[in-house]
Amino acid sequence: MNHAAKIGIECLGTTVPMKRLEECLLKPQKRDRSCGEGILPAIAPLANPYVPFQRENPPRYEARKGLVRGTLFPGLDLPFMGMVNKREQPVTPKTELQTLAFAIQELALYLDTHRDDTEALELYRSYQQLYHEGSMVYAKECGPLNHLFPGEGDYAWLNDPWPWEFAANKEA
Amino acid sequence: MFVYEKRLQYPVRIANPNPKLAAIIISQYGGPDGELGASLRYLSQRYSMPFDELRGLLTDIGTEELGHLEMVGAIVHQLTRNLKEGQIRDSAFAPYFVDHTVGVFPAAAAGYPYTAASMQVKGDPIADLTEDLAADGAIM
Repeated sequence: MNHAAKIGIECLGTTVPMKRLEECLLKPQKRDRSCGEGILPAIAPLANPYVPFQRENPPRYEARKGLVRGTLFPGLDLPFMGMVNKREQPVTPKTELQTLAFAIQELALYLDTHRDDTEALELYRSYQQLYHEGSMVYAKECGPLNHLFPGEGDYAWLNDPWPWEFAANKEA
Repeated sequence: MFVYEKRLQYPVRIANPNPKLAAIIISQYGGPDGELGASLRYLSQRYSMPFDELRGLLTDIGTEELGHLEMVGAIVHQLTRNLKEGQIRDSAFAPYFVDHTVGVFPAAAAGYPYTAASMQVKGDPIADLTEDLAADGAIM
């Protein structure tokens, strides 16, 4: 997750001008009653860190771009050391599922704190439907995704490759 | 209840094994700010979280972190595929190999095994969320 934190500085409910702050920090022997007294520099203002809320109805990437960027929301896209993943995944039943599941996950996290955003809710539901359909195609071709999913034929759960193997990701 | 989904969240495809890199990446698996710590942190903090939004978020993020744990495990696994003796003997991977061979063991890069001592659950929403910021910020 990316957290865009910013620091707000205030002192006992009043904002301290930068000039005053510098003066007090440079001359710690000078007491400043407006900011309390003690053995710390006379002015040791409280810092209140906070994380800004994500706004309602934020811009979104389309699902495929979201998967490779690691977030569905451009506003939260803060590439580590400026390194952007531009690799596009080939379109296969598996990457379709990965794409949809990631978009659903991202929308779920957003909806957890914005449950009244009907547009996001609608998109979340439509991706759920596509995921459901996609997982049936996938299961037929590649085997069951989990034990709860209704299947037929032989017990295919143990079929190779397992997800962590190179072979499972070769063409994906 | 958790149900395993037999797929990775994002493909992991490492053509060239690199045990030296695996010895570093393992920290993201079982180190102090790794995915195991993240998932346990969130999934344990949610019981005392007083707000629905945050109970939901901690549940959903903690679950996703388990998916990240699996991807990091896959990375370490693929980085240590088909190693030749020289690749093991002459690399930073040797101290790890002597105890775990190519098993994926939850430990920090410095060697100490995963410990919950590197996380905190206080039952206080502000304290817990601040701890989450510190842990997540540490790996940004």
